[in-house]
Amino acid sequence: MTPSVANLSLEQAPPISVPFRFFLSAPLFLLAAALLLCWFGPDALASRWSYQTLALTHLFTLGVLTSVMFGALFQMLPVLAGSPVPRVTLIASWVHLLLTVGTVGLVASFLLGSAFGLTVAGAVLGLAIVVFVSAIALALWRVEVANVTITAMWLAVIALGITAALGLHLVVGMSGLAPLVRPFFYTNLHLAWGLLGWVALLLMGVAYQVVPMFQVTPEYPVWIRQRMVPVLFAGLIVWGLLAGAAAYGRLPSGAATGWMGLLVVGYLLFAGVTLRLQRQRRRRVSDVTVLFWRTGLIAVGVCGLLWVLGRFLPGWDARLEPDLLLGVGLLLGTAVSLVNGMLYKIVPFLSWFHLQNRQLASGCLSVRVPNMKELLSDRAAKRQYWVHLAAIGCCAGAALVPDWLARPAGLLLGISALLLGKNLFSVVTIYRRTNRELLAASPVSGTTPGGDIAPAP
Amino acid sequence: MKHSIDVSMLEPCEPLERTLAALRELQPGDYLHVIHRREPMLLYPLLEQGGFSWRTRPGGPAGYEVFIWRRGDDVAGQPALQDAETR
Repeated sequence: MTPSVANLSLEQAPPISVPFRFFLSAPLFLLAAALLLCWFGPDALASRWSYQTLALTHLFTLGVLTSVMFGALFQMLPVLAGSPVPRVTLIASWVHLLLTVGTVGLVASFLLGSAFGLTVAGAVLGLAIVVFVSAIALALWRVEVANVTITAMWLAVIALGITAALGLHLVVGMSGLAPLVRPFFYTNLHLAWGLLGWVALLLMGVAYQVVPMFQVTPEYPVWIRQRMVPVLFAGLIVWGLLAGAAAYGRLPSGAATGWMGLLVVGYLLFAGVTLRLQRQRRRRVSDVTVLFWRTGLIAVGVCGLLWVLGRFLPGWDARLEPDLLLGVGLLLGTAVSLVNGMLYKIVPFLSWFHLQNRQLASGCLSVRVPNMKELLSDRAAKRQYWVHLAAIGCCAGAALVPDWLARPAGLLLGISALLLGKNLFSVVTIYRRTNRELLAASPVSGTTPGGDIAPAP
Repeated sequence: MKHSIDVSMLEPCEPLERTLAALRELQPGDYLHVIHRREPMLLYPLLEQGGFSWRTRPGGPAGYEVFIWRRGDDVAGQPALQDAETR
């Protein structure tokens, strides 16, 4: 039995501007990625080692994915765990500024081939991540009752720290400050901890909450919720050791490849279980977030298949660029799809919730608070979904025939980014307008508690 | 008088919206019984803000049941509490 005490204090929740500054950065970085692809065309997809490709990759990973995930963590910690990030507005402002400046600097340095720029951008990004990880770790440390999502957050944040440390190691090597030994091994390690650790583990932990809540599915099976993320995290550590032993000639590389195969099965299992839950939705109405998630989860399956074919069928990939194709599939097909779909729930929901709270606090009933569908129309969101789907297909094609498809892929990606930006900014516009109306019409200005939602009897 | 609503098949923010709309119609002496599939953590601060008391009971047809009455309305509060404690 829950007593009559508010489990979630509204004072603990961060101001809406904290998550929104991160969420609204995402379409801008997506647009920058599209412009880069349009500008450089096939050169941007020449090989995973080209500077243009590295710039493009980091616009996705840091600019789009990490921005949204930072904003989501600042927002979700007090809500899910009752443990707010200390001095959240100040810290979030600095982290956002450092992350944005660092990402732009890193991308510019890749494109200009500037060793000095790489060093400075690496330092700025390192500082952003140190501040973020310290603040989130402190909030996680203070959590009194942990749950599966809190565990996933811990492990994802540790994975972010490992990814950043490996990234800084690579920056130092590329800047010429220290010799860069075994760059192939350290790049793969950086990439694996970033995508399969930081991005995937956090998305999985958050999925345990938001899939049943927003998509009205049954809960994830207990064994998935309790074991999947810790097992995959431990599996990544073992894989890193095996790959390191292979890179230094202590083991044949087959051991690390075989172990990664087991991890791939784990990620496929999670995707399969989530797709199955979506098929068991209790309310079968069309929903754009379900479409985005289904796309992202099917992309996990396609990427798994590509990886298996690339590793275990020699000669199959002779005419393909399996690494580039995998990159498109994992970054755009899976991660951006899942995050894009999530934004379409979180941004309208937070707007609605803050407005509702403002109305209750002020006791003002003359202004109607728009619901989620009114804040963001299904039609507008679906239009962007179809363009996003076309962009995934075209980008995958561009990885195979960059001369023909790189610029059309950039164009589609740009349209998708513009539509996403328009949709999110329109939610914020309605939020701000309604908030102003509530403040203007309120008999009690500000957020004085104790307002009633019904006229006094 | 008891009023019941089932919001267990709805997606956010409809459960919150329906609950708040039902609370607006609540007369003195009435309490609201909400059937939910998840514990409505975000409803609690809104109830606090709106001047309501509540009890949450795990179980019921969908997973959770919440009994809500206007703070200070003992005519509604006593039967609501009895209802919440009856298995």
